[in-house]
Amino acid sequence: MLKELVNPTHFNVLMGKLGDVLVKALDQPLGYAINWGRIWSLWPVHLETACCSVEFGAASGPRYDVERFGIIEAFGSLRQCDLIVVQGTVTRKMAPRLRMVYDQMPEPKYVIAMGACAITGGLYIDSYNVLPGVDGIVPVDVYVPGCPPRPETLIQGCMLLQEKIKRSRIK
Amino acid sequence: MVVLAKSLEDRIDESQKLGLQVIKESEDDRLMTLNVGPQHPGSGHFRFTVKVDGDYIVYADPDPGYVHRGEEKMCEYRNFIQNIPHLERPVIHDSTNITYSYSLAVEELVGIQVPRRGQFIRAIASELNRQVYTLYWLAIYGIFLGHSTMFMWPTGDRELFIDLLEALTGARVTHAFNIPGGVRNDIPNGFKDRCLRQIAYFEKRLKEYEDIFYNNPLLRQRTEGVGILTKEDAIKLGVTGSVLRASGIPYDIRKAEPYDIYNEIDFKVQYMKTGDSFARSYVPFLDMRESCHIMRQLLDKMPESGEVRSKLQPNPKGAPGEAYRRVESGRGALGYYIISDGTPKAYRVKISVGSFRNMLALPYLLVGAKLGDMPSIYWSLNYWPVEADR
Repeated sequence: MLKELVNPTHFNVLMGKLGDVLVKALDQPLGYAINWGRIWSLWPVHLETACCSVEFGAASGPRYDVERFGIIEAFGSLRQCDLIVVQGTVTRKMAPRLRMVYDQMPEPKYVIAMGACAITGGLYIDSYNVLPGVDGIVPVDVYVPGCPPRPETLIQGCMLLQEKIKRSRIK
Repeated sequence: MVVLAKSLEDRIDESQKLGLQVIKESEDDRLMTLNVGPQHPGSGHFRFTVKVDGDYIVYADPDPGYVHRGEEKMCEYRNFIQNIPHLERPVIHDSTNITYSYSLAVEELVGIQVPRRGQFIRAIASELNRQVYTLYWLAIYGIFLGHSTMFMWPTGDRELFIDLLEALTGARVTHAFNIPGGVRNDIPNGFKDRCLRQIAYFEKRLKEYEDIFYNNPLLRQRTEGVGILTKEDAIKLGVTGSVLRASGIPYDIRKAEPYDIYNEIDFKVQYMKTGDSFARSYVPFLDMRESCHIMRQLLDKMPESGEVRSKLQPNPKGAPGEAYRRVESGRGALGYYIISDGTPKAYRVKISVGSFRNMLALPYLLVGAKLGDMPSIYWSLNYWPVEADR
């Protein structure tokens, strides 16, 4: 019996089976734990693209206080961040920088498009220097409409993103 | 200005005289170039490169234009009323003032008079918005210098002014309240009492701000004697607003060329003489205090009833010609130059903003300063990048 098990082919089969059982047993709770960690530490990069940044600033003030949801604004380095809130209009000059910032961030990373300009170009749709929506250069997870969105709307967008992360599977 | 220790040739000559081995070190090896922005916790929508020699900045080059959205071009294919919503986006936290001068210029072209009550409501909205802007600016200045309390307090008090403006106009920050011919709607019931209560509360708070922030020895050490802009340089560089007043020139558009009912209001132009970062950060604070004083007078003198808006035709045509009007915004003189060719759309609109002119002083002030003084110099210039880029 023991000799058969130590036999390389049988051993591999056994380990494979054991692995499957382990994955089944640990995937859900581990995924839950990892997602839980990701949900409550969404740190946004401090990249302001246009005027919605004023409302983003107001959201981190004492009245709205996004820190309740684990979002710390004005955090230093983008290497430790996992969220970009695209705060409004993205111009042709800002677009390469936005993509560069997105590429430099570590996985997993999420993008919230805040304001009408970031979604479609908004009020500036006929301007010569404005991108018609930011989803052409970075993949967007949540769209937050408004011009500018009220801080409550931004908080709701963040909570939707947290819902999305909660349901996602760990690779 | 800091002089570089010695030029390359001098050092090579000296080394050869002493019989030492010549180490070829070019200026580029010695200086380090630093990029600040646009992804930076403080710079906002703005980038500037500085070259540092050790701890001292020897060269600074601002690079604006990250939010250039072509506002002036967009004005040419919208009519005079349609322009209002997009013109206030450059400074959404000071949106009443940026549409104020536009409305004045269009009124001059179209040739209408604003009713007296409308003028008062405009001025009240303008002063409320000045508080909202200056509080936001002060909050960012506080967090720039690592003073978290000074971020939280002004942001919280700002919401109370935003509540007043929301009751008045219906929107949090983008009001579209000033329109050519007056204001969009009359003040709501009980607004005057709410306003007076808020002013009384805010004046108490201003004393606390002074105690915790401006009398703080750490802030004084970091800002006093830093980035001095002399009176002559201020005039030469063409800075406006609080930056100009901090350099010892009592110039305020509300006093110099009073618009609407500002000639009936009694107020002092606040200024300081030192011209350093501390003065530049203290003058907006004094302005806020003076603004409370102005608002009390406005609420007191406002006529009890009357029209607030003289109606325009649906698609108003400007008389052929040009108009230039300016107002004192939170950042300084804010003017609109409009050329009209007799059609409902403007032929050319030029926006002259205070931010851009204040930004021009940045490279002059940074050269010779320490790298650690950069935040206090940069944000004390009362600069809002989105407005400068337009």
